[in-house]
Amino acid sequence: MNHLLLDVCEVSKTFVRGGLLSRQTIAAVNQVSFQLVAGRPEILSVIGGSGGGKTTLARMILNIEAPTSGKLLLDGIDLAAITGSAARLAFMHKVQPIFQNPFESFNPLKRLDRYLFVTRRRFSGAAGQGTIEAAVDAALHKVGLSLEEVRHRYPHELSGGQLQRVAIARALLAEPKLLVADEPVSMIDASLRMSIVNLFRTLRDDLGISIIYITHDLATAYYVSDRIMIMQEGRIVECGDARTVLNAPRHSYTRQLRDAVLVPEVADAACGASPGIYDPTSPAAPERRT
Amino acid sequence: MHANVQQAETPGDVQPILRVRDLQAHYRTTHLGLRRGVRAVDGVSFNVRRGEIFGLAGESSSGKTTLIKSIAGVIRPPLEIVGGTVDFAFLPGFGGLHRAPPAELARIRWRHLSYIVQGSMSVLNPVRRVESAFLDFAYPHIGGHRKQFEQQVIAHLARMRLEPSVLTAFPHELSGGMRQRATLALATICRPDFIIADEPTTALDVLVQKEVLGMMRGIQRETGSSILLVTHDMGVHAHVTDRLGIMYAGRLVEEAATAEIFRNPLHPYTRHLISSLPRIGDDAPRAGLVGSPPNLADPPPGCRFHPRCPLATEICRGEVPAIREADNGHRVACFAVERGSRA
Repeated sequence: MNHLLLDVCEVSKTFVRGGLLSRQTIAAVNQVSFQLVAGRPEILSVIGGSGGGKTTLARMILNIEAPTSGKLLLDGIDLAAITGSAARLAFMHKVQPIFQNPFESFNPLKRLDRYLFVTRRRFSGAAGQGTIEAAVDAALHKVGLSLEEVRHRYPHELSGGQLQRVAIARALLAEPKLLVADEPVSMIDASLRMSIVNLFRTLRDDLGISIIYITHDLATAYYVSDRIMIMQEGRIVECGDARTVLNAPRHSYTRQLRDAVLVPEVADAACGASPGIYDPTSPAAPERRT
Repeated sequence: MHANVQQAETPGDVQPILRVRDLQAHYRTTHLGLRRGVRAVDGVSFNVRRGEIFGLAGESSSGKTTLIKSIAGVIRPPLEIVGGTVDFAFLPGFGGLHRAPPAELARIRWRHLSYIVQGSMSVLNPVRRVESAFLDFAYPHIGGHRKQFEQQVIAHLARMRLEPSVLTAFPHELSGGMRQRATLALATICRPDFIIADEPTTALDVLVQKEVLGMMRGIQRETGSSILLVTHDMGVHAHVTDRLGIMYAGRLVEEAATAEIFRNPLHPYTRHLISSLPRIGDDAPRAGLVGSPPNLADPPPGCRFHPRCPLATEICRGEVPAIREADNGHRVACFAVERGSRA
């Protein structure tokens, strides 16, 4: 059997709401299992509507949240067994996050290069400023930027697309094996979105990094991913090769999601074809007082 | 600028409900005695016809929201209208809502003009029940007996497939889609002539989004309202709008019937925008656009798209292309297109 990079084993997470008398449990993630094989980098998309448990799953993989039941193993190490800063650092060496809104992931009062230098210093131990700068510059080059463009800059001075690239470069400084990207392009402008998505492909092909790409956008998921996992109310309802899942969906929820994608093309009857659940048989709207 | 005005008067625009002429809205600040201006909307002209859904597309910081704020008359410093006019058919003679007296505004708001703001769930007061929003906003315009008004509201909610119990709920008790449908009901209950919708479905789930858009379209068809729909999502535009304007860096760069824009985009930016959209079942590689959107405090001279444009020539760097009619009702602001059409 192949060595597993990530083994998610029947993981569940339940949240409890309410007090003693009106206790309500919500299963955000319910019995989810999947594996990523080491040495075979891939982009795995996790797709679902809001409240589907995608972000909770990501937070558990990032060891921000502990599962209620089940186990997560990274490189054979149980995430629950990670205690102490050294083990935590070793974990972060392998897994790095990318969040949705780059303007929120950076402190607006802190210069961007500081983030990069501090990250590199943490992961490479003590090293001279020269070697750190060289490493930062190399990481920025991988995402199509350079240290000169970022040096002394504050987050507001860069566009959302550039900032998201800096966030990816920061993640790359740890030389991770796995990136967990939670809706990384939904806040990015349309003209820059594809450059970030293309960057994920480059990272997979050139650097051998596996990426868990969490999104609700089926079109970019189809474009970039190798495998797709569809989540509905905390459960995986369909999982498989991206092309197969989206071209010939088996589960009704996948079909529903695919049909809800607004294809950017104008069909002649496009407007009439989707009356939605608006009900024209209901009594007419109230007349306005004249 | 006269060329602009004439170009906009195509025969179909005989009686537009909204006429925007050479609108300039800038953010002006004075910092340490230094005056700075951000030209967020810079010379935009277009018409919205009666009974159509006009879409505005563009990326963030392209001035979409500033444009509709100026149209809706929501002008707060540092935003200033520097020039141009905004004429509604139901409010003639003022040249813009911001110049109209408060009594006029109170008369037309909700009844002639309603505004669905971005993240419009926040329209509903979190500590009051949904019905109070209807009573506060719509009742003064509809009037009559309280009981009768409540019946009207319930009937209108039923058309949005909402139960009457929604009225006695607090906003946090409703899901995002239900809240959005409730605000849509609020915006349409007075059957306004003109509805401005700023990113009405961006915060919603894909499944809910389709539902809400379908309902918007249905209501619009029934009441004959005009809608100005602003969103960056080209998929939404393709499905809902009749005509579409593309904004780039504070300027309108292209405007045509939605089907025409998707079939035959002329401006290099529009062409890129449409060709870069990934589609399910299509594996062709898509490229991102090089460079980044310009800083509007210091925009590039000439055509604002020229630093990123593959077709840029000397004239694009020095002169501003005016928006001209290239084809029947298809307007575009680009020197390369003009050259191409002449050659």
